Order: sequence, then structure tokens, then C-alpha cells
Amino acid sequence: MTKYYRAAAAAAALMVVAAGAIFLFSPTDALQGPVQRIFYLHVSSAIAAYGCFGVVLVGGAAYLRNESATGDRLARAGALVGLVFTTVTLVMGMLWAKPIWGTFWTWDARLTSTLVLWIIYAGYLLVRRLAEPGRQAARFAAVVGIFGFIDVPVVHFSVTWWRTVHPGPVIINDALPPQMLMTFLLTMACTLVLAGVMIAIRYRIETLMDQAPLAGAVRAIVHSEPAR
Amino acid sequence: MSTIVAHELTQRFGAELALDGIDFVLDKGEHLAVLGENGAGKTTLLRILSTAVRPTSGSLQIFGLDALRERARLRARIGFVGHAPGLYPALSAAENLEFFCSLQGVDRARVAETLALVGLSHAARRPAGRLSRGEQQRLAIGRAVLHDPRLLVLDEPDASLDSGGPDLLAKVMLGRSAVLATHDRALANRLCQRTLVLRAGRALGAATRLRVVR
Amino acid sequence: MTRAVAVAFAVARKDLTSEWRTRELVPALGQFVVLALVIANFGFQIDSQNAPAIAPGVLWLALVFAGLVAFGRAFAAEREQASLEAMLLTPAPAAAIFAGKALAAGLLLIACEVVLLPALALFFGTPLNFALVAAVLVATIGMAALGCLFAAMVARVRAREVLLPLLTLPLWIPFIIAGGQAVQVAMGATGNYNQAVALLVDFDILFVVLTSLAARFVLDD
Repeated sequence: MTKYYRAAAAAAALMVVAAGAIFLFSPTDALQGPVQRIFYLHVSSAIAAYGCFGVVLVGGAAYLRNESATGDRLARAGALVGLVFTTVTLVMGMLWAKPIWGTFWTWDARLTSTLVLWIIYAGYLLVRRLAEPGRQAARFAAVVGIFGFIDVPVVHFSVTWWRTVHPGPVIINDALPPQMLMTFLLTMACTLVLAGVMIAIRYRIETLMDQAPLAGAVRAIVHSEPAR
Repeated sequence: MSTIVAHELTQRFGAELALDGIDFVLDKGEHLAVLGENGAGKTTLLRILSTAVRPTSGSLQIFGLDALRERARLRARIGFVGHAPGLYPALSAAENLEFFCSLQGVDRARVAETLALVGLSHAARRPAGRLSRGEQQRLAIGRAVLHDPRLLVLDEPDASLDSGGPDLLAKVMLGRSAVLATHDRALANRLCQRTLVLRAGRALGAATRLRVVR
Repeated sequence: MTRAVAVAFAVARKDLTSEWRTRELVPALGQFVVLALVIANFGFQIDSQNAPAIAPGVLWLALVFAGLVAFGRAFAAEREQASLEAMLLTPAPAAAIFAGKALAAGLLLIACEVVLLPALALFFGTPLNFALVAAVLVATIGMAALGCLFAAMVARVRAREVLLPLLTLPLWIPFIIAGGQAVQVAMGATGNYNQAVALLVDFDILFVVLTSLAARFVLDD
């Protein structure tokens, strides 16, 4: 078993431990009931998603500064893993919102900026796929990543500002009793480890894809742009 | 100091290898013809020499400067004619050149001179979109020499020119170093002292002082 | 520095002259926005009661779609690519060329706004005052910078009709939020106009600076 398989197994095991804590150790919330347990994974995913975006930013900036292939691969890996975690965040958020708020969606600051994050990730990956492979794709994607990274907090701030004029749903009390806090911190740590392992594995895949002309040739056929 | 020193120029687009380790040297005042079938890599090579794109790997020195890092400085000294004329159809021939004068930082007086040089003085006020294809190509050539460059990079400039074309090319290439891509071997013989033949991205032998006779 | 400004103005003038002589874009945009207003009237079942509430939204909808068309066009035509390259192969800085194109495209969108705002006032009975015009103009600046940067990017990429809105709209959202608020207040609702416009100015500064820095990575190789 290579180190990647071992790392993946360890990360999965950690998630099982976190799941155990969520369902067995943490008490049921008085106000929200069992649905509240979604919160642990939901918030952890959100933090992992933003963390991945930080990786995209750093990798992209490194690429623009000195054409670092490592930076570009890291950014690619971060974007794909980040998209996965953002999707998880959005879905879990919707599952939680329906019983609590009575609606799947609401345009509050966090939901809106997470949706924007998702769209930007999708844009990043599409630009990568559709631009001329190699330098142009890396350059354009890096610019998208940097603008996106700045945009997400700007959107968050704008919606927060707007919500002071047009109040939205009631803010849930975020204070946590000790057992819940511990569960949350454990879940967050496990999720971040999972994200790190996924990025490392994806980075390895991207490295192999960069080196393998055959895989690239298959992609080139699929794209079927005429040679110039 | 040679005008161009190219070493192991390679260009990859994803998995496609458009240029594979091209080496050549161009001395001052020399004209180099680049021959090859469509798809051999002529356009790719010429776009690299014009500094429009950078190669995936390899080194390129133009006028002794590193062409990959000093592109801004080099662009003032290179004139490029590509496949598409890249002119503004709603602007007149003279206005097109005046605009590029502003970008090049060159005196407007050059516009009249250049129009005379390429034989378009009579069409100075005609919108570029209403020029014939040959006249548009002449205008593109005029734009390439507007700033009196030391090096000309010409990608199949003869393709749409009319009968006076070769004479015009000889006139503008005079006294300058030039790289000319063409299908026309007679033209290559007439205008250039050296030849580089490309096939599938590779050079068929080094650029020697041979005249291609077929 | 003055050379860069001169280049930007030369590029802007060239684009505007081309548009003036061909008159392709502005009439199309003008027609589009008027049509959008007419459709909104029926789609939203406008009457004198709901018009003031719906008008700001219709304004931004029309403006966003017109903007996508206008900025997309700035870089779209294939012949435009060859001419863009010709511009880059001069000593002119890429950021200055970009600024010129964004300036021209912004002015063309403003020409469209000259049609949109009076038409909106006419069809929806909303006021047309300086506050409204100022808010829209200030928002246009930042939106033009962002729209043109991504238009330059997608011009070289396939599926550009899909990609341009996808990349641009997330970045326009802050402008629409603050601008929407400003427009609503200008039309008579309660709220904080000054704060909204101050936010728009902040966004303008932030994104004009960022796009200028990013321009050379997007336009040039």
C-alpha cells in the first residue's frame, strides 16, 4: 500500500471517529433537535472549503509570480477538492435549513457567499478546461482564483451590510456548551485532515497527468481543436 | 552580435508538440526563409520570434536581449505581419496608421511616408474595411515598418498580395534583418539568403546557406 | 505615466470612433433595454402600486444583461484578436490598452443607460433625478473594469457565452447589492443612499486597481 492509500485510510478512519463523536458523544440540542447535528459537518466543510480556496489563491499567485508548476498544480488540486467541500456545505446547509427555517434557501450573508464561492470554483475549473492547455489555462485560472478569493469576503460584507437594512432570518445562537464545542473542534480537525489528504492525492494525480503525454493526448482528442 | 540566436525552441499546446527543439542564428541584415507544409510549425515559430507568445522551453536572444524577459523593449524594434491583418475596418488607412503611431510613440509624419512606401497614398482616407485584400495586406506591412524596426517577422505576407507584392517585400526588407515564412520557393530564393525547412515541428537540418532549388 | 494615459485615450478614441461609424452596438443595446422594460411591464403585471418596488430590479436586470453584451463585444470579434495582438506588439503597456478598452466599453454602456433611465421613468413612472443617475454611473465604472477583464479572458477560450456570465456575475453581485440599494432610495424608498454610494466607490477603487494589475496576465502571454 503506497503512502497515499495509507493516508486516505487514516483520514477515513478519522472521519468515522468524528461521526462517532457527533452521534454518540454530543448531546441533542434542546431547541433544534437532532437536526442540529448536521451543523458539525456543515461548518467544518465550510471551513475546509474556504481553506482550499486559500490554497488556490497561494498556488495561483505563485504561478503568476514565477511560473511555478507546483503552484499551478496545487491550485488545481485545491479547486477540485474545494468544489467538493463547497457542494457538501451547501447541501448540508439546505438540509438543515428546511426543518429549522422552513425554507431550503435564504439570501443571508453566509449562504450567499458560499454560493458565490461555488460558482467561482466552477468558473475556475471550466476556464482551466476550456482555455488553451498549458500556460494560458494556468494563467487565466490563477487570475480567476485571485479575483474570486477577494470577491467572497466582499460579497459576504455586502450582504451583511444589506441585511442591516433588510433583516433576514433570526440568527441562531452560536454559543456552544463544552461537549458540543469539543465535538465541533474534533470534527473540524478531522475534516481539515481529510481535505489535506484529498488535496495531496489530487496533487499527485495532477503531477502524473502533466507528465503523461498519453493521457494528455486522449484529452486532446476529446477536445478536438485543430492543430495550428 | 547576431540579431537572433534561437536555441532548442520548443512549443507545446497540451499534448501537441508544435515545435521540437529549433535552433538557428540570424545575423544582422540577413534574410531567413522558413519553409514547410501547413501545420509544420512556421506560424508558431514566427509568433515566438515576434514575442507575441513565449515558447514552452528553449532560449531566444534578439539583439542580444533575452526575448523571454525583455519583450517590452524588443517590441519597439520588431515589426510583425501575421496571418490576419488585424486592422480596424471602420477607420481609414491613414487613421489606422495614426493610431499605431500613438502606440509606438512615433511621429505622425511617418504615416504619409509609410503610405507612400506601400503604395496606398491614393487610399489614405478609405476605410480599411473597403480596401481590397491585397491593399489590406499592404497596409499591414506598412504598419509593421511604421516604427522603423530592425527586425521584420513576416508570416506568409505574399499570400494575399497582388503582382507588385514581391517588389514591395524586397523594398521593406532592404537594410533590415528579416524572417519570412512562405510557401513560394521562388520568392524565398529571390528575397532570402538562407533557408530553414520545417516538418512536423522539427527543422530538417540546420539553417545553412543553401538555396532551395526544385 | 503620461504615455500610458495617452495610450489609453488613443485606444478608447479608436474604439469609440469605430462604434460611431458603424453604429452597431449602441442601437442594439438601446433596443434590448427598451424591450426588457416592455416585457417586465407585462411579466410583473406592473401597475402604479408595484411599479416603484419593481423598477429598481428591472433596471439592474436590464443593465447587467446589456453590460454582458457590451463588454463581451469589446474583445469578441476574431479580427479583434489579431488587432489586439498588434497593439500588444508595441511598447504600449498592456494595462493602458486594457484601460482604454474598458473606458470605451463603459462609455458605450453609459450611452445605453441614457436610453434606459428615461425609458424606465416613462414606463414605470419612477423619478429620474441626479441621485439615480449618479448611482448608476458610479456602479458602471467598476462593472466595466471587471466585465472587460473577463471578456478579454473568455475571448480566447471556447464556450465564451457560457463562461462570461459565470465569471463576471459573482464579481458584479456587490455592485448590484449596493447599487440596488442606492437606486431604490433615489426612487423614494427609505434607506441610506450615501452609504450605498460610498460602498460603490470603494468597490470601484478596489476592482479598478486589481483589474489594471491583472490586465497584463490576461491580455499578453
